Amino acid sequence: MGFVDASSTLINPRARRRRLLRKRFLRRPLAIVGLVVALTFIVCAIFAPVIAPYSASATDFNALLAHSSRHHLLGTDELGRDVLSRILWGARASIEAGVFSTLLAMAVAVPIGIIAGYYRGWIDAVIARLTDVLLAFPFLVVAVGLAAILGPSLTNATIALGIGAAPALIRVARGEALALREEDYVRAAVANGASDVRILIRHVLPNMLSTLIVQATVAIPAAIIGEAVLSFLGLGVQPPTPSWGVMLADAQSYLSQAPRLAVYPGIAIFLCSLSFNLLGDGLRDILDPRTTR
Amino acid sequence: MGGFLLRKAGAALIVVFLSSIVVFIGIRALPGDPAVALGAENRDPAVMAAIRHSYGLDKPLPVQYVKWISKALRGDLGLDSRQLPVGHTIVTRLPITLELAFLAVLVGTSIGVLAGVIAAVRRGKLSDHSATATALVGLSVPHFWLGLMMIIVFAVDLHWLPASGYVSFRAHPLGNLEHLLMPALVLGTGLSAVLMRQTRSAMLNSLSADYVRTARAKGLSERMVVGKHALRNSLITVTTVIGLQLGALISGAVITEQIFVIPGFGRLTLDAVNERDYTLLQGVVLVAATGYVVVNLLVDVAYSLLNPRIRVSGASNQ
Amino acid sequence: MKVSLRRIAVLALVAACVAALAAAVAAARTTRSSADIRNGGTLTIGLAEEPDALDPTLARTFVGRIVFLAMCEKLYDLDSHLNIVPQLATALPQVSKDKLTYTIKVRKGVKFNDGTAFNAAAVKTTLERDLTLKGSVRASEISPIKSVDAPNATTVVLHLSSPYSPLTAQLADRAGMVLSPKALAAGGTFAQNPVCVGPFMYKDRVAGDHITLVKSPYYYDKAKVHLASIVYRIMTDPSSRTQALRAGDIQVEDRIQSTDVPTLQKDSTVTVKKAITIGYQGLTINIGNKNGLLKPYSNVGTDIARSQYIRTAFDAALDRTTINKVVFGGLNQPDCYPIAPVSPWYKPTTKGLACDLHANVNLAKQLVKASGIANPSVSLMLGGTDPVNARLGQVIQSMEDAVGIKVSVTPTQFTTALNRADAGTFDAFAVGWSGRVDPDGNIYGFVATPGTLNDSGFTNSKLDYILNGARKSLSTKSRTTLYRAAMQIIHRQRPLIYLYHPVNYYGVTKKVDGVQIYGDGLIRVNAAGYTK
Repeated sequence: MGFVDASSTLINPRARRRRLLRKRFLRRPLAIVGLVVALTFIVCAIFAPVIAPYSASATDFNALLAHSSRHHLLGTDELGRDVLSRILWGARASIEAGVFSTLLAMAVAVPIGIIAGYYRGWIDAVIARLTDVLLAFPFLVVAVGLAAILGPSLTNATIALGIGAAPALIRVARGEALALREEDYVRAAVANGASDVRILIRHVLPNMLSTLIVQATVAIPAAIIGEAVLSFLGLGVQPPTPSWGVMLADAQSYLSQAPRLAVYPGIAIFLCSLSFNLLGDGLRDILDPRTTR
Repeated sequence: MGGFLLRKAGAALIVVFLSSIVVFIGIRALPGDPAVALGAENRDPAVMAAIRHSYGLDKPLPVQYVKWISKALRGDLGLDSRQLPVGHTIVTRLPITLELAFLAVLVGTSIGVLAGVIAAVRRGKLSDHSATATALVGLSVPHFWLGLMMIIVFAVDLHWLPASGYVSFRAHPLGNLEHLLMPALVLGTGLSAVLMRQTRSAMLNSLSADYVRTARAKGLSERMVVGKHALRNSLITVTTVIGLQLGALISGAVITEQIFVIPGFGRLTLDAVNERDYTLLQGVVLVAATGYVVVNLLVDVAYSLLNPRIRVSGASNQ
Repeated sequence: MKVSLRRIAVLALVAACVAALAAAVAAARTTRSSADIRNGGTLTIGLAEEPDALDPTLARTFVGRIVFLAMCEKLYDLDSHLNIVPQLATALPQVSKDKLTYTIKVRKGVKFNDGTAFNAAAVKTTLERDLTLKGSVRASEISPIKSVDAPNATTVVLHLSSPYSPLTAQLADRAGMVLSPKALAAGGTFAQNPVCVGPFMYKDRVAGDHITLVKSPYYYDKAKVHLASIVYRIMTDPSSRTQALRAGDIQVEDRIQSTDVPTLQKDSTVTVKKAITIGYQGLTINIGNKNGLLKPYSNVGTDIARSQYIRTAFDAALDRTTINKVVFGGLNQPDCYPIAPVSPWYKPTTKGLACDLHANVNLAKQLVKASGIANPSVSLMLGGTDPVNARLGQVIQSMEDAVGIKVSVTPTQFTTALNRADAGTFDAFAVGWSGRVDPDGNIYGFVATPGTLNDSGFTNSKLDYILNGARKSLSTKSRTTLYRAAMQIIHRQRPLIYLYHPVNYYGVTKKVDGVQIYGDGLIRVNAAGYTK
């Protein structure tokens, strides 16, 4: 890794690793672009009320389907609402669904996966079968079913996406735990009589963290698209709350009259998920030693 | 070997059984009384009671389940709200989705593997970077939106391709391909992006492996090295990835069929949810789940034949 | 046989209702001599919904009736003026003086589409099946029939337990379709191979995709049938239906969505036909549905339930013209009453009653103030999660916002919404009714205390008295007076706020002639064919 300057050898190894990672990250311009764009979307989501020129639900029945102008940079939709404002507000639903469903999936999957992989035996068998059952249903079918059962709303769509993403994560966490329990430091801790909880939290979890972070950055864009799909099908965000998926669903009736209404939200979804994918790719290269080239 | 197969098949049976219960209960958890859906504008209590009775909805849940599953085991999935046999409906709709999925895999592999090989061989060059970037774009584009855009451009504006619908291959081979071209492209894009990335890294691994170095040392041409040795080994990885992407492919088919109005299995599922057609929905989901489990079982078996070590450890595709 | 005055009155009433309806649709009809039409060809019709069981005893859906029209003839039919005329019967029924016995003469020499003979015994078998089959939807429509006799091959005698004037009208719908006894006896599910008398016969069906009918070799009037086959394609997505019509994949489009109507009207290869329906769309306000439908009603206590001021303000804030313009491209018929302007009852019953199609924002604001309720709020349930419902909800929300009523919108899957409406767990529900020819069918069930569709939980003894009186009376004049009084009460109390009457648009390619749309909104293609 080139020269190591003298000062860095003096500080603790964790800080050193962090420095190293930062250095590696800064050498990946695409990952930086991803981070910047993702952060921009997050900022838009948080500050939409301040940034957006209009309220997302303010209708103007005298300016329906208006072209872009000084007043409405991206024009207006079929109810005379400002498209730009709706895109900005729509970032909220996407980011919310993307981030929280992934957190939920992690919260559900990681403990289950660790327990299955660490203890093996019948617990593993039971969990593996249950995971198989969940995996036997295609992700979207599970999400559609859950959204239909729980009733359509952003929260429920987030839950549905989280549960839908969990089985795959359980498998990843299980695989990691299975490998880690054979590591020397874990064996040493067992030999020293450390409690299971302590071993799992102090030794197993931290060492699978980098894998989990990479998995999360892959899961977020999938969830962002998933939210758009559910909203597009009428099972996610409910009007008048704007969401990119809802905007696309609305635009479908106006494809021949105002195709632009279908273009903008799609670009927003694309850029948002691309930014997280770029970031994820960068992180994978940095954190996962197996893929370093 | 026999013991391993039995164990795997037993596990698959348990999964199918549990799935059938999940399906049955899950569907009944859907809000919306199917009798009301069946009654249309008729909500006279007497009519409601008659409908409930004729569809067996007035019986206790365990009775309904046993009745359904015992018939299903004999291949009878019951009659839907149109009085049509669910089994027959599935048999007519499934091939459409399978054809779409097959074309999508064709599109996905031909683009994905080719791009992956080129990117690996010309690693670090412009073609590698552009292929990698394109794959990332393909991974980030919402496919249903891509479908909408293609409809606007190729159907609404240019009139090159039909916007939606389906004709069977037997009735009209060219029309069939015309109708499925855009859907297959849309569904294949995501797959090709995943495949390109996987092929690239698998090829990079193989190209640096000992046997490839040996082959090079023996003075084989670069084309032989890449084509015969490295690619063949990478294809095992690629096949695995296609197997793992099956679920994503089915999910993708649901929304693709929705956009392009293709009367396949995915649309059938969504329609059944929206119409609260219990018999149809539980048949559809049961068949989907069983299919998925069976395919996974076959994949496991294929693995164990290819790689005997898996049989010993019992762990697969982790 | 002497015909009673009362029977004449009933028939005159039915005739009066349908005659005026016909006027509205006369424009849509095309009359061209059949010489211009060639024989053969397949007509593909894009249906907006999927028909349910193709079994007239069990069928419930509107679109199912479109398919039945081509393959299942009835004892009676409607003509282009919506008068009831004999089809498989040879004349209108002869009714006994006590109105308890109907004698119907049926055609001779007619064959079912399996080649077996049609006769009075087949009518008896079918009607008895309608009355007794488990899950029969027809049973309640013809429940007064006590028994059926077939004294000879051409005579059917119906014995009624009580007088029932709508019986002939029912026999002009699915209850009057006669099924082949051989097909019924064959066992199995009739819907999978339905056999009736008709110009076309069932060939096959793929659920969710299509239904195919082919020209019948057995039909008694087959010289007038031109098409070789009809394919009904299920195309629930309205945009793709229109695209398919323009691309020539289908020749007839069922119910064009409003955003596509102008495009198709400009298309020189397509004729757009319209039919004003006898139904309505409106908002059901939950006033007293606290314990569920038909359970004792008491005020639910929401802002809009407890204050008539708020309900009136809510209505005054609605600009029906703008709703029609923004949500439906100005294609529907905005109105404040349940009876459609195409009905002969409309003019006399709404004469002199107020209906402001524009919003009165100042009045609404004053009413909100007068109600004494600070920041009133209403939750509006939409009967669907589709974009049109979403537009309607948001337009209403924005109009109410302007007068200080806060509306939250909950789009709900249709079946779930109906369940919630029956359970009374809603404030306001945007829902419609397909409409009935008689005013009773558009009013009684919804606002009378024992009404089976009274999701509003509305109970008003004066209104009940008026509506029951109108049900018993056979004088058009007194019924007009009674319905007018009823509508005044409904308009004042607003258990329902009516918004508009839907106008249906249909697309037909110019290559095809003879497609007819009457006021019942059904597509008639029996005499259609490709032009020479």
